Amino acid sequence: MKELVATVKQVENIAENVWALTVTLPESAGEIKGGQFLNISTGDGSRLLKRPFGIVKAEGNDVTVCFQVKGEGTVALSQAKKGDKLAVLLPLGNGFVIPESAKNVVVIGGGVGIFPLVPVICGNKDKKFYSYIGFRNKNCACLLDEFGKSEKLTVVTDDGSLGKKNNAVNAYFEDIDNVSADLIIACGPPVMLRALKQKMQEKGVKTPCLVSLEERMGCGIGACLVCVCKKSDGSNARVCKDGPVFDINEVQL
Amino acid sequence: MANLSVEICGVKLKNPVIAASGTFGFGREFDEIYDISCIGGVSTKGLTNASRLGNPVPRIAEGHGVILNAVGLQNPGVKHFIENDLDFLKNKGVAVIANVAGSTLEDYGTICSTLDGLVDMVELNISCPNVRAGGMALGIKPENIEEVTALSKSNLKKTPLMVKLSPNVESIATNAKAAERGGADCISLVNTFTGMVIDLEKRRPVIANNTGGVSGAGIKPIALKMVYEAAHAVKIPVVGMGGIMSGKDALEFMMAGAKAVQVGTANFADALAMPKIINEMNGWLDRHGIKNVNEIVDTLQLN
Repeated sequence: MKELVATVKQVENIAENVWALTVTLPESAGEIKGGQFLNISTGDGSRLLKRPFGIVKAEGNDVTVCFQVKGEGTVALSQAKKGDKLAVLLPLGNGFVIPESAKNVVVIGGGVGIFPLVPVICGNKDKKFYSYIGFRNKNCACLLDEFGKSEKLTVVTDDGSLGKKNNAVNAYFEDIDNVSADLIIACGPPVMLRALKQKMQEKGVKTPCLVSLEERMGCGIGACLVCVCKKSDGSNARVCKDGPVFDINEVQL
Repeated sequence: MANLSVEICGVKLKNPVIAASGTFGFGREFDEIYDISCIGGVSTKGLTNASRLGNPVPRIAEGHGVILNAVGLQNPGVKHFIENDLDFLKNKGVAVIANVAGSTLEDYGTICSTLDGLVDMVELNISCPNVRAGGMALGIKPENIEEVTALSKSNLKKTPLMVKLSPNVESIATNAKAAERGGADCISLVNTFTGMVIDLEKRRPVIANNTGGVSGAGIKPIALKMVYEAAHAVKIPVVGMGGIMSGKDALEFMMAGAKAVQVGTANFADALAMPKIINEMNGWLDRHGIKNVNEIVDTLQLN
């Protein structure tokens, strides 16, 4: 875990309102696991909080994150120029820990929640991934080449403009008899994760399932207790430090 | 290399830079990024007698130059801190300041007696604006401040007492004097300003608690004035805070009368903020030929 000043290498608009930002670190930040995230300053000094983004790719000292432009901070980031200096803190969070024994992994992603799933697929070449990803419409679709590394890829959209008109959770459950999964990993909006948990309970699916959560964060390292989620036993867990990846049965969604 | 060590009511700090309560946990997380033994002290996450789960999320929002938080005193309870975190901090060689809060007046007495003799200092949080039950009420009126200070002091036989003042008050000088009358060994200020951030599209406040405490660079001029006023109203030492982001900011607070400073929100903007601030203070003092940081305290000349 290091606080570094990174140099912007590339900023690219990859889908409607979605940007890919690649920065070069001045030194290695150590091993980066799939599902871990970084905190990055917006480059606007009046914004004191760094933004937490899932790491999509880490190659040498280059790190790529993708993000949706939502507020003034992400607008500023989308306008970063090559050579700009941005403070980064990384790698953060636990990431997806994929057990050796899991050979067939189902991947469920919705919207901008697909980003932290990418390095899991790209970084575990000994495993077979069956991916179900959903977007609002075809203009919002991105990173299809990366998800194309899956053994099987199903893309759906809310309006049917790309793939079937469906959502990612339903797409998996409609296909469930064709996939014998050892593990499910998922990331997406809370409504998607809730639907996944509910469907798994309804259908009696006992496959281990890891979900990556999102919450507004302060420090990003577990000190400030801003980004908590509720565990099943009613206690709090820190999304940034104890997560963002949790067993689906361990947290209240 | 200037001498940065300071002493506040008998407690020696290797430098005047203290981590502000609620931004630094119990130091363990930041210690994964740098060795926190380089800072002067740590004011712990606000401790209560029993553990607390805090407020619903979202707990944080942002404005220009400021952040807004309403964590709601989530903490594992004072006993858990003593058993699990106190030794870690002590072994780091930093001054350990236990920040404490109560829901009732009596809570303050209990928690102070639990901590007496175990920590370097106790900091009373009587100004946390997020807990409906106590917090705010005790920190606003001078008579309440004097009462909670006196009760806490009577339960501290060995450990000095620092009272952290709320800025959301009629007169900071009056309240500083009330803490002094109650027996405070020193005071710290400012805690956060109450505020609100709105999501226009949702037509709702951003944070679940609706209102929260405003901190960060944007509050610095207001905090500086209050620290100046408080420092000139009392004889006990003052620890200043409010939007300190750089070594120069820290020195301005000391010039206004603070003997030490606390750094909070800056830790979020830059995890290395505190070591950088210490270096910057050193650099400024060296450039100005000042050999001892204490020489800067209360040297502000008014126009």
